[in-house]
Amino acid sequence: MKTKRFALLLAVSLLFSVAASAVVAPGPMDQIKASVDEVLNILSNSTLEANDKKERISTIIRKRFYFRAMAQQTLAQNWRKATPDEQKSFVELFSRLVMATYMNRIEAYSGESVEFKRENIEEDRAVVDTTIVTRTVQIPISYKLVKKDGEWLVYDVVVEEVSLVRNYRSSYQDIVNKEGFSGLMAKMQEKIKSLDAPPAKTG
Amino acid sequence: MPISVRFMARRLLLLACLSVSVVLQAHAVDEVPPTGVSGEPTDSAFSDDTSLGSEDDFPADEDFSVVSDPLEKINRVTFWFNDKLYFYMLKPVARAYRVVPESIRVSVANFFTNLGSPVRAVNAAFQMKLADAGNEMGRFIINSTLGIGGLFDPAEKYGEIRETDEDFGQTLGAYGAGPGFYVVLPFLGPSSLRDGVGMVVDTGMSPLYNYAERDEKDNQYLALKGLEAVNTVSLDKDTYESIKRDALDPYQFVRDAYIQNRQGKIRK
Repeated sequence: MKTKRFALLLAVSLLFSVAASAVVAPGPMDQIKASVDEVLNILSNSTLEANDKKERISTIIRKRFYFRAMAQQTLAQNWRKATPDEQKSFVELFSRLVMATYMNRIEAYSGESVEFKRENIEEDRAVVDTTIVTRTVQIPISYKLVKKDGEWLVYDVVVEEVSLVRNYRSSYQDIVNKEGFSGLMAKMQEKIKSLDAPPAKTG
Repeated sequence: MPISVRFMARRLLLLACLSVSVVLQAHAVDEVPPTGVSGEPTDSAFSDDTSLGSEDDFPADEDFSVVSDPLEKINRVTFWFNDKLYFYMLKPVARAYRVVPESIRVSVANFFTNLGSPVRAVNAAFQMKLADAGNEMGRFIINSTLGIGGLFDPAEKYGEIRETDEDFGQTLGAYGAGPGFYVVLPFLGPSSLRDGVGMVVDTGMSPLYNYAERDEKDNQYLALKGLEAVNTVSLDKDTYESIKRDALDPYQFVRDAYIQNRQGKIRK
């Protein structure tokens, strides 16, 4: 009698754990948190060289960010007007530019904490809300993600209600209108060069 | 605080009248078709078309509205002026001011934030966000007393009551007023017709402004605002510098970020 009950209990608990593991495939919040935590660990690791840090962070970002989607949204209707070759080189330039910008920003990091608030999933899209807490301000940052082969990939970042993609889009559109696609690419190349160079002055 | 109840009541009445006229005015402005970045009217093919019907379809999930900036030429000049002001006045002063220990500067920031609480509470109440209004009043009471006149923020630290960002520009927005048009104010930076008016109203309600002595009001208020600006920049990590560094056109970046930021806050 006792063994029977035990067997039942075991079966039920097994069933539950199987069901649980099926449900708990890492969701968007878990995935983005894993990436952010990885980046923060690297940043606070004092044994790593600056270049080494950059390289490791860049690998994490490239895995988590969906640069092609970002680039496509940034160009909006100009994306369709571009040839496949132009699209390809734009994506390449765009991802380098975003990376360079991102790298410069996170250099200012000094131990602020990141809180993961909530995730909102709608089919294959999701929004994860986070907050960076500094000593005087809280900066809300939301990640917009899309599911691709089981991975949640970032296609937009919204900082204080300001969408990265939307902001790029309006200025890029303006430049394409005035100077054409090649003018835009030239400007981007120039910008990447100046961003990769060490800052002239800080303070 | 030497503000009589009657004085406050009169001010609130004035404010109510003002707000009605502003809402009407902002609506009138809103009906003007939005102009594009370069000042030309946007044609229908140009607006809102962000669906990307190609082989790797990735539809954008946000509408793309252009901001009205009829004053762009003047705004760019003001932007240039503010830029110089920042690099040649504010930043050097803030850098020198950094000899003050950071903990004290954080307290100075807390002090100014705390004095903004009543204005935020009133604006939350105007928008019928009563829980937020209560939160702000609670913060004000706790931080003014336990937080020693607002130098510390025990409300957040121990009570987890966080600041809610509200102002009169957002109140107007919540009642349907559009931004009107974008404007860069000298010294004060990016704003819009709606938010500029909001700023005037908020200043009128601000304890900081009302606490200053009658005949020295404006000078004292400006001095305190100057201190607040220097203090803020001293704690800031080169936000403006990185925008200048990253953006292909900083003017446009700041403008679009400002408009998006305000839209987002009003939606909340």
